Amino acid sequence: MKKLKRVATYLFLSIAALVSIFPFLWMLVSMTNKSVDVTAGRLLPGTHLFENLKVLFGQVDIASAMWNSTIIAVITTFLTLLIGSLAGYGFEIYRTRGKDMIFNILLLSMMIPFAAIMIPLYRLFGRISGTAPFIGIDTLAAALLPTVITAFFIFFFRQNTKMFAKELVEAGRIDGLSELGIFFRIYVPTMKTTYAAAAIIAFMNSWNNYLWPLVVLQSPEKLTIPLLISNLGAGYSPDYGVIMTAIVIATLPTALVFFFMQKHFVAGMMGSVKG
Amino acid sequence: MKKLWFLAITVLSILFLAACGGEESGTSGDNGSGSGDAGSGDETTTIKAWAWDPNFNIAALNIAEEQYDGDVELEIVENAQDDIVQKLNTGLSSGTMKGMPNIVLIEDQRAQSFLQAYPDAFFPIDEYFNKDDFAAYKLEPTSLDGVQFGLPFDTGVTGLFYRTDYLEEAGYTHDDLVNITWERYVEIGKDVKAKTGHDFISLDPNDLGILRVMMQTAGAWYVEGDGTTVNLVDNEPLKQAMENYKAIMEADLVKANSDWSQFLAAFNSGDVATVPVGNWIAASIEAEESQAGKWAVAPTPRLDIDGAKNASNQGGSSWYVLNVDGKEKAAEFLGQTFGSSTPFYEQLVTEVGAIGTYKPASESDAYATPNEYFGGQAIVQDFSEWMADVPPVNMGLHTYAIEDIISAEMQNYLKGKPLEDVLADAQAQAESQLR
Repeated sequence: MKKLKRVATYLFLSIAALVSIFPFLWMLVSMTNKSVDVTAGRLLPGTHLFENLKVLFGQVDIASAMWNSTIIAVITTFLTLLIGSLAGYGFEIYRTRGKDMIFNILLLSMMIPFAAIMIPLYRLFGRISGTAPFIGIDTLAAALLPTVITAFFIFFFRQNTKMFAKELVEAGRIDGLSELGIFFRIYVPTMKTTYAAAAIIAFMNSWNNYLWPLVVLQSPEKLTIPLLISNLGAGYSPDYGVIMTAIVIATLPTALVFFFMQKHFVAGMMGSVKG
Repeated sequence: MKKLWFLAITVLSILFLAACGGEESGTSGDNGSGSGDAGSGDETTTIKAWAWDPNFNIAALNIAEEQYDGDVELEIVENAQDDIVQKLNTGLSSGTMKGMPNIVLIEDQRAQSFLQAYPDAFFPIDEYFNKDDFAAYKLEPTSLDGVQFGLPFDTGVTGLFYRTDYLEEAGYTHDDLVNITWERYVEIGKDVKAKTGHDFISLDPNDLGILRVMMQTAGAWYVEGDGTTVNLVDNEPLKQAMENYKAIMEADLVKANSDWSQFLAAFNSGDVATVPVGNWIAASIEAEESQAGKWAVAPTPRLDIDGAKNASNQGGSSWYVLNVDGKEKAAEFLGQTFGSSTPFYEQLVTEVGAIGTYKPASESDAYATPNEYFGGQAIVQDFSEWMADVPPVNMGLHTYAIEDIISAEMQNYLKGKPLEDVLADAQAQAESQLR
């Protein structure tokens, strides 16, 4: 009976694992096949990989799209962590009248879908373009600025700060550290796992961000990776083999970031749940 | 108490935002004339164009630039079609023309919704080309109140692509498929299926595009000629189209597909015998090299109605000039290439395989070149002949909204609900929804 239960458990887990891994497998296999074979549902690796790579690199400037995406993602991640953690720290450590109320309003802003603020935002950047072209429409800065400060990360850091021993702050003050000094020398090193988890989420969000970069970036040389992939599928007879190749290349950086930080990520997420 | 404060501040801020919004939208018309990036000062003007297919409409722009001798430098930006719609909507509704291109390609079915929502954003181009040179059915969707805003580009003229080997096996020749009705098409389908075992057509149950193809052969649509009056209940062409659709379903002639790649697979794999869709599918059929010489194209079947033509249309798009700096240059560029140049269309058809809607070009030699994949048939010439026959329709703004209703009712019809009731119910729903 116990054995049967065990078999059933593993069977279920195997099926679940297969279901979640299958799309990735299919993506990898399709990368090596011709478009016609992909549409025909071929599941065996083919010999078309180099052909697909050649077409991909010949047809689009995937290197510059990778570069744009990387720049945007790295800067966004850095700023998000800095601003989000400063704000989350502030909300939790300092006592101010009405801070909970401000925090609640902040949380409410999470409920507003991006599509609803997109047009005013575009208008805003359109206006800025006249006086400050370096952050106006069709600049990488415009693509990343609206995504830098989000209520989610402030909330995330505040929740995790609840676990942070407040005595350390007191100790820092007694030893004569400035408030910023306490933050950078004590808080940041102690909260490494939280930062790692936040970094992964911020990086992935930014890497996969589609709608806003689509609207605000106009020049072909400023395309990000998701936009480039969307363009590959744009024609009346898309080459699915080439698209799959591009998707595999586009997935690599997020996969790498995740694998490098996986340990911290899990610890960080656990922390936020416990908090 | 605290909660009350919270509530009060939230409500106040929402009201404040709403008030700002109202005020802003009042002034938004003013900056409509905006600041496109297109040139001032320089001798050669840079013209920005948005299009979506590098093997098709973007290739066409490149040929046009190559042939054009004016001082224009073209900057082509490739975007997926849905992305262009999203970007245009965001840009135009925000009221800033900043970042908008000079030239944009818009699908004919969507054109009216842009023209009617943002009439000031587009530049009239009547004076830059002679619209009588173009297929009549293209002019309705590309103009507003008699003013021409779009320069007609590719045709979506349909054809009945079929597998010659399957049809021969069942005893049919090309002539058996010429000038037939959809009823006859279904009969042939049953026969072919019985004799060869192959399905006859591939359809996506969620996409009723085939109904539109059938209706347009009789010059009808879901709406009347004004583009707004819902016309379902007494719409004889629609009635016939739905009967044919049901007949196809009931005779089990269909290999169902649920997306584009499955649709492509249905004929690339050799599963279905016919593909009655727009001529743009030719490239996807030719992608399966092993089937070379086994395909041909017959005219589209028509509805059994007086005046119905063996020609219909599915898709197609046109060029629009936005009302930003450089618009005159952009319009001149379009007018002298896409608008009036037969050599341009010759090069377009030989190099890209794309068929325009410019009528004088159809007499050129390039159009008569036989296509070896289709057994030596001069398919381009055939398509351009059928194109001239496509009955014009006013598609209006609500094609997809109405089709969603029809789609739901179609299921009831297939289950046995009488057609009169189906159409009456659909009519009532559509009228209340679109009021």
